[in-house]
This record gives sequence, structure tokens and C-alpha cells, in this order.
Amino acid sequence: MLKGFGTLLVKELKELIRDPKILLGFIVVPLIMFPVLGYVMNLSMQTAQESASKAVLLVVNHDSENNSTQFIAFLNLAVNATPITVSTVDEALLQMSNYSASGIVEIPTNFSQSVIARIPVTVKFYTVFSGSGLLEGISSSIVNQMVENYNRNLAPNILVPAQSTIVKGKIIEGIDPRVLSSLVISQAIALPITMLILLTYSMQIAATSVAMEKEEKTLETLLTLPMDRFAILAGKLSGSIIVAGIGALAYMFGFNYYMGSFTSAIPTGASADLVSLGLVPSLFGYLLLGVSLFVTLLSALALAVILSAFAQDVRSAQSLVSYVFPFVFVPSIALMYLDINVLPFWLKVVLYAIPFSQPIMASKAVTAGDYVTAGLGIVYVAAFTLVIMYAASRLFATEKILTVKLRFKGLRKRQTTPSE
Amino acid sequence: MNAAVDMKSVVKVFGNIRALDGLNFTVDTGEIFGLIGPNGAGKTTALRIISTLLLPTSGTVRIFDLDVFRQAAEVRKIISYLPEEAGPYPNLSGHEYLEFMARFTVKGRDEAHKTVNEAAEICGLGGRLKDKAKTYSKGMKRRLLVARALMTKPRLAVLDEPTSGLDVLHSYHVREIIKRYATEHGVTIVLSSHNMLEVEHLCQRVALLNKGKIVAEGKSQELKEKFGSTNLEEVFAKVVGFA
Repeated sequence: MLKGFGTLLVKELKELIRDPKILLGFIVVPLIMFPVLGYVMNLSMQTAQESASKAVLLVVNHDSENNSTQFIAFLNLAVNATPITVSTVDEALLQMSNYSASGIVEIPTNFSQSVIARIPVTVKFYTVFSGSGLLEGISSSIVNQMVENYNRNLAPNILVPAQSTIVKGKIIEGIDPRVLSSLVISQAIALPITMLILLTYSMQIAATSVAMEKEEKTLETLLTLPMDRFAILAGKLSGSIIVAGIGALAYMFGFNYYMGSFTSAIPTGASADLVSLGLVPSLFGYLLLGVSLFVTLLSALALAVILSAFAQDVRSAQSLVSYVFPFVFVPSIALMYLDINVLPFWLKVVLYAIPFSQPIMASKAVTAGDYVTAGLGIVYVAAFTLVIMYAASRLFATEKILTVKLRFKGLRKRQTTPSE
Repeated sequence: MNAAVDMKSVVKVFGNIRALDGLNFTVDTGEIFGLIGPNGAGKTTALRIISTLLLPTSGTVRIFDLDVFRQAAEVRKIISYLPEEAGPYPNLSGHEYLEFMARFTVKGRDEAHKTVNEAAEICGLGGRLKDKAKTYSKGMKRRLLVARALMTKPRLAVLDEPTSGLDVLHSYHVREIIKRYATEHGVTIVLSSHNMLEVEHLCQRVALLNKGKIVAEGKSQELKEKFGSTNLEEVFAKVVGFA
């Protein structure tokens, strides 16, 4: 055993565990954050599964024999397959809203004959695609599974599913919903992850910048110079904004290219206008998304500046800023999976109230062509930012910028002697 | 002539700590005045109030007849403050740092250039001014910052522990700079130190501070004679009842 190791270990543990910043940031926050995340995930999984099991599939049956009826009954084990008396898929499309259907199955005239003769027969599936979240593909997956199970009972590859997609009431022939699904998944994951990285990284930069000024006492020097004190705050924020703005621009270019790599997988023969179908944002949508991202970054930076004013050094500032991270992590990760529209009202309110979730929601909104929601989100975050910046300017205008610090005992904000 | 610094009955309270407890002193124009005392005596708080960083809880502070509370912006135009253990911006070169600071107090590019050259001469860092400040030793950083505080020839320079943590040679260099500037340019200097021997050699007048109060004030020689001591340390020990 290393001599002195035990003594050092005990000292280290005491030092670390007794530091309230570490206790709160590394132990208490994860203990709260992950159960909250788990609850949200559980809720979203349940919602997706329930809606999938209740999914109505309209059946356009051109076959009048027994086997097609049996196939419909088989589908009914997992979904609500509802035969309707129409002669074409286009007519069925018009009926979808009446039945709240999420898809159409078209059974060809030779279905029963082919099944009896064990000759492969193509069954067309048309699946509605709204692009709301990672779990949206559950219903189409269930249908695919049902076809596989049906084939297993008969013979391999008797039923050949031909997948097409319905987007905003229009059929895109020959496009497998899974291709679009991968597009949406890429969108659903890429933006929250990028947000998460951009926000946390830029907040750390801004907090470090202010804390460095305090730690090196350069802030004290600046405060005694003949200049407007708001200029110090404005200069600091502007510097961070420029860096964050460059980050946002780099993100927009990168994200656009990334999206292009997915959309290129869609067959050109399908000639689908992905923008009008609401699968990728329009140019205006990208612009709104950029603005949303920018104001959110600004609000995060202003918040980081305020929090770091309560810290005496860089380490404390970084710890303080990390308390905001759950408000970035939870909506980012939750909105990867969730369709916000199916959530309980209170959870919707919570998610909408967190400013850092706005760009993710704006991304979904602009993709769906809902510019009003994205615009309102921008207004909300801008108002939040103004409040935070006003508070920051008040802090910089007084001696509190030097004297205030957060006391963890009872979590009271206290003024203490800053020097001898 | 108006006093450079006039503090009257200044009290500063932080929560339940009374950092300054009725502080009274004046500093004459062109004088080097030393505030000395142990850690926690209230030296830094007093200097921060003079420098408009903190507001007194009660009492008045006037700098060349300007009120630090009501005329803070005017006071900032004529003072220069050097915080204790302050550093320059680590990723700026010494030259860039001086240039940055000069822009706030000096008008015009030519004047700023002259000011920076003046500072370069004061600090004596030569070619090293082109290097990033993070590569400087503690002594070099302090020389740079003292030069920054004096380069604009402020009417009042407030220096908090200007030689704290420096070795003998760097301390000597900094002290010489301060003395020369006060003599040649008529800059009034208020400085703090817990090194009483150093202050004895540098300051024309000193105030001994203990627990937020001045316990003795005057010329070093007068204080030593009054308390029958050989140096200010002994004076301080006798005043606070240690000896």
C-alpha cells in the first residue's frame, strides 16, 4: 500500500464532498435531472405505443376472396384495420381524416389467388408521415412486423410490402417512409445535440471570460476607468455574441449540408418537393431558425454573465453555470423523442417556458411551415433575454459586481466583505 | 490648496462586518501617503472607496474636492487604481495591454502612442513587451501594471500593495518608479502595504490602520519618536498593545 494514500484519499473525499458546488452540480443535479428525463421518456414511449396500437389503417380491398379477409383480421391483432368501400387509394385518402387514420393498405385483386398458389403478391402500404419525433416510426414498424409475421405463417416473401408515404395529404409514390424517417431522425437528433453543445460551450466561455476578469482583478481596473459601466457588459456580451454568431452560422451551414446528405438518399424519380411537403425547412424557415438560435444563445450568454458575477473565480463560475445545464439537457433530449403536441398540458407549458427549448421547437415548427410558432418563440426568448440583460446591467452599475456572491448555506444571496 | 484625498467619518459595513469604522484622514497634493496595517485592517476597502469601486455606508470622501459618490465619473478621470495582486490580460502582449488601457484615458492616437512609450520606459520590460503577458514572471507583471497606473500621469494614483509578493530587486524597481513619478510629475500617491519597513522608506506620511480605524498618523520619524521605537513595526505593536 502506498504510504499516505489513505490519509490523502480521506482528505480528498472530505474536500470534494463538502464543496457545495460539487455536491449540487455532480450529485444532486443528476439525481433530479435523470429521473425527470426518465419520466418524460417513459411518458413519450407510452404515448407513442398507445397511439400506434390505436392506429387506424384504412383497407382498400380489391380482392373479394377469403384470404384477404383473413389478412385483414391478422392485421387487426395489432392495429385497427378498417375496410372501407372505395375503389381507389385517392378516394381512401379523402376519407382518412374521417377515420383519424394513419395509413392505407391496398390489397390487390389477385391477393387470395397468389397466397393460395404461394406466388409473391405486392401489397401497397401508404403511411402518414408528420415528422414530429423519433418515435413516430413506431406505427409503420408495427405494420412491417405484421407482414413479416404473416409471411412466416405462410411461406417466405409471399407478401411483398410496397411502401409509399403520405405527407400533408399527398402521396409520394415509391418513397419508403423509413428513408424519410431517417431524415427526420437526423433532424430530431442533430439540432438538439448541436444546441446542447453550442449552448453549454458558449455559456462556459462567457462565464470564464467574466470570472477571469474578476480573478485577475482586471474588472476592478476597468470599473475605475472613465467609461460607461454598461459598456463593459455590452463589450463582453458583444464579444461572446460575435463568437456565438459565428458558431450559429457555422451550425446553419453544417446542418444544411448534413440535411442534404440525407435528402440525397431520396430517389430523384420521386421528384418530391421536400420543402412543400414539410420535411425540410424553407429558406425563410432556415432564417427564422437561425434567429431563434441566435437569441437563445444571447439569453444563455447573458445568464452566464450574471451567474459568473456571483463567482469569485473561474472554477466557481463554471460550477454555477453548470446548474443551468439541466434546463438545456432535459428539453434537448426529451424533444428528440417527443411530439410535444401529445404531451399533457402542464408538461407542454414547462417545455415552452424553458427558453433553451425554443430553437428545437422552432426547428420542428419551421419544418412544418408553422412560422407563427417559431416567431412567437423568438419573441418570448427575446423578452427573457432583455430581462436578464437588464438585471446584468443593474449588477454592473453597482458595487455588487464586486461584492455579491452566492452563499450555499440556506442558498441565500449575501454580501460579504470582498477584501480586507 | 484642496486636499487630494479627504475622508471624513467613513464607515463601511459588509453584512455584519464593520470593515471601516469612522475613518478620517487627508492626503495633501503631491504627497506619497501610506496606509499600513495587518491583513483585514481595512486598507483595501479604504482604497476601493477612494477609487469609486465601493460606496461608503456613511461618511464623506472627496478627491480633489469631488465627491466619490455624486461625482464618481469625474473622479475616475483623474485617478488611476492598481488593485492588489491584479494581472494583465494573459493573451494580450504587454504592449497591447498598455495600448488598450491608454485608449480609455488618452485622446488621439499620437497621445496614446506617447503614453504607451512612457509606460514602456517606466516598466523597463524592453522587447518582452511584445510577448504575451502570460509568459511574464510575477515581478514583470507587477512592473507592467504599475507602469499602466502611472503612464497617464493621473492626479491621484491609488496603489494597493504595489510590491506584494515581489522579490527584493523587483520591489526596489517598483518603489523607485513610484518615487520618481511622484517627484517628477507631481502625482499624488496613496498606497497600502502590510510591509511597514517598506512604507517607512517610501512614504512621506503614514496612517496605521487596525480593525477599520486609524490608530496613529503622521511622518514616520515623528511616530517613531513619539512612541520611542526604532521602526514602524514597533510603533504599530505598541499602539495596538502587543508591546
